Amino acid sequence: MNSSSDRWLAYFMILPVVAAVLAFVIGPTWDVATLSLTQVVMGQERGFGTLGNFRALAADPMFTLVLKNTAIWILGGTVLCVLTGLAVGAFLAIDSKMTTGLRALILLPWVMPDVVTAMAWKWMLHGQVGVIGSTMQSVGLTEQQISFLGDPDLVMWTLVVVLIWRKMPLVALILCAAIRSVPNEQIEASRMDGANAFERFRFVVIPNIAFSLTAVTVISMIWITAEFALPWIMTGGGPANASQIMSTYIYQQSFEFFSWGVASAMSVVNLVMLMVIVALYLYVNRRSWASGAAS
Amino acid sequence: MGSVTLNNIRKSYGAVEVLHGIDLQVDDGEFTVLVGPSGCGKSTLLRAIAGLETISDGQISLDNEVINHLPPKRRDIAMVFQNYALYPHMTVAKNMGFSLRLAKESKSEIDRKVRAAAGILDLVPLLQRYPKQLSGGQRQRVAMGRAIVRDPEVFLFDEPLSNLDAKLRVQMRSEIKELHQRLGTTTVYVTHDQIEAMTMADKIVVMRGGHVEQMGSPLQLYDRPVNVFVAGFIGSPAMNFIDATVQNGTVITPSGAILGPAPDSLPDGSAVTAGIRPEDIFLSDSGAETTVGLIEPTGAETQLTLRMDGASLVMTTRDRVTLSPGDAVHIRVTEGKLRLFDTQSEAAIW
Ligand SMILES: Nc1ncnc2c1ncn2[C@@H]1O[C@H](COP(=O)(O)OP(=O)(O)OP(=O)(O)O)[C@@H](O)[C@H]1O
Ligand SMILES: [Mg+2]
Repeated sequence: MNSSSDRWLAYFMILPVVAAVLAFVIGPTWDVATLSLTQVVMGQERGFGTLGNFRALAADPMFTLVLKNTAIWILGGTVLCVLTGLAVGAFLAIDSKMTTGLRALILLPWVMPDVVTAMAWKWMLHGQVGVIGSTMQSVGLTEQQISFLGDPDLVMWTLVVVLIWRKMPLVALILCAAIRSVPNEQIEASRMDGANAFERFRFVVIPNIAFSLTAVTVISMIWITAEFALPWIMTGGGPANASQIMSTYIYQQSFEFFSWGVASAMSVVNLVMLMVIVALYLYVNRRSWASGAAS
Repeated sequence: MGSVTLNNIRKSYGAVEVLHGIDLQVDDGEFTVLVGPSGCGKSTLLRAIAGLETISDGQISLDNEVINHLPPKRRDIAMVFQNYALYPHMTVAKNMGFSLRLAKESKSEIDRKVRAAAGILDLVPLLQRYPKQLSGGQRQRVAMGRAIVRDPEVFLFDEPLSNLDAKLRVQMRSEIKELHQRLGTTTVYVTHDQIEAMTMADKIVVMRGGHVEQMGSPLQLYDRPVNVFVAGFIGSPAMNFIDATVQNGTVITPSGAILGPAPDSLPDGSAVTAGIRPEDIFLSDSGAETTVGLIEPTGAETQLTLRMDGASLVMTTRDRVTLSPGDAVHIRVTEGKLRLFDTQSEAAIW
């Protein structure tokens, strides 16, 4: 037995993972970070060590609109996703034949490819031929057919609804599993203590699933931040940039306008935002009653 | 006041009936213990009283008011669960005060009641801890505290001590008993441990297979069990049962040894099951002949396992024993202590 050779074996075993992380995570991140500090003119790098890209970004009138849209997209999307997921999950947690079937069916939106989902919704929401708008008109809900994706005031929230349709099922399933694992005795004890259904949910179920809830919140936030195909295919950031969010704007800047510098600066902003979210998650989970919060 | 009356309680899960018409009266302030083997329906009955389980038929009344259809919160009954069922995200104080908080009592009132209950149970230094930071016995006390603060009409306990080690169990047993003497609250206590039942109960209810076999004071059940099941279930070591027949007014074993007199009502030749408590057997110069099998001294008394007619017989004695395994000894049964049961129906004859 030689502990130093054991150690080398261990290093050797994790080498592939380390290499993959270096090549596919650290490398590109480093690239983008340095690129954001580099002056790029006509696709040619001219000088490193400038904050010009960030200044340009701050001066860009589009930037505030993109930030506002991104806030709706990420915060609105996450909050609604988790809330509807919690409601649906609580419903699915009820024991009955119907919910058993639904638990399987609900994953359908989740397993569809992004592109199919986006195309299907784009067509259903279309201003002239969309089935949703025309149905609302024919039953008399609206006088004219609404163009959900063509109206600058509606488009962002329409995207959020489709996003929730797509992302909520897994959230609901995870929370359903968490709710079902709440010890039954605790529920019964709270019934004896005089709690009604809402109080049981609020004071017993929610604290018991708090970990799953924060985890699912952070995970959805990351999913939503990274979601690109859905908004890009459905609106491409339009109409007139009304649904431009960070991911679509970065894509547009880099691959349509070739402003690599500004795009990479925005990527860095995006990355910092994600890191803040994850840090928040780690901070929240650090304080847990399960491992002696009183100390 | 807190008297509980159960009237013909039936409970079915689907087609399976697990409680077959239970009648039971628990008087105000009484400590009643439900005891029986695993799966006999003790928990089901207790949960029906609590309101956690619906019943298929019958009537549950508290102080002569039918409470069948009231939800648990409106029954004024508190329950202590086997695995404590504390809320892990609340401190001891919050756990104990939860019911009061739901009842919208004032902060100061909650605080006062929680402190009072914590004082009774020695929990004051632990009030700010979380359940994870407590030992099993402490958690059990918190669970009891949660029941006490509500000052309910009835306490229900479902095997509260079965997760504790033997020594702690004995200690908690007397604590619960003391608590009952102090508060005087009607209590229904479920256990499958007959020693717990004997030591704690004012009244024991022996259940089997969803039926009540017998109820009465611990000594009534010990001295006058109505059938073989109750006789064998109550008492430790368990009662000895021997196949015997009646001849000339005496009960004799298959090999002809005389166990004691038989009642006149039994005709000669009737087959009976003789029941003898271990402490009612004594060694003597004459009497039934047996061979010593095992000798187990426990200090204060010694337990002997004797072989007679191919069956084993357990006796206990407070005398110091100088025998060794294989010795032949004669035994007799203390006068008036021989119980007889019908071999077919297992019901007590005498
Ligand atoms: N939800 C249920 N569905 C079907 N049968 C059940 C259910 N709950 C309990 N039973 C049955 O009812 C019977 C009584 O169960 P119960 O829990 O009351 O037993 P118990 O006397 O408390 O036993 P133990 O000493 O093991 O706790 C058992 O035979 C059990 O299988
Ligand atoms: Mg039980």
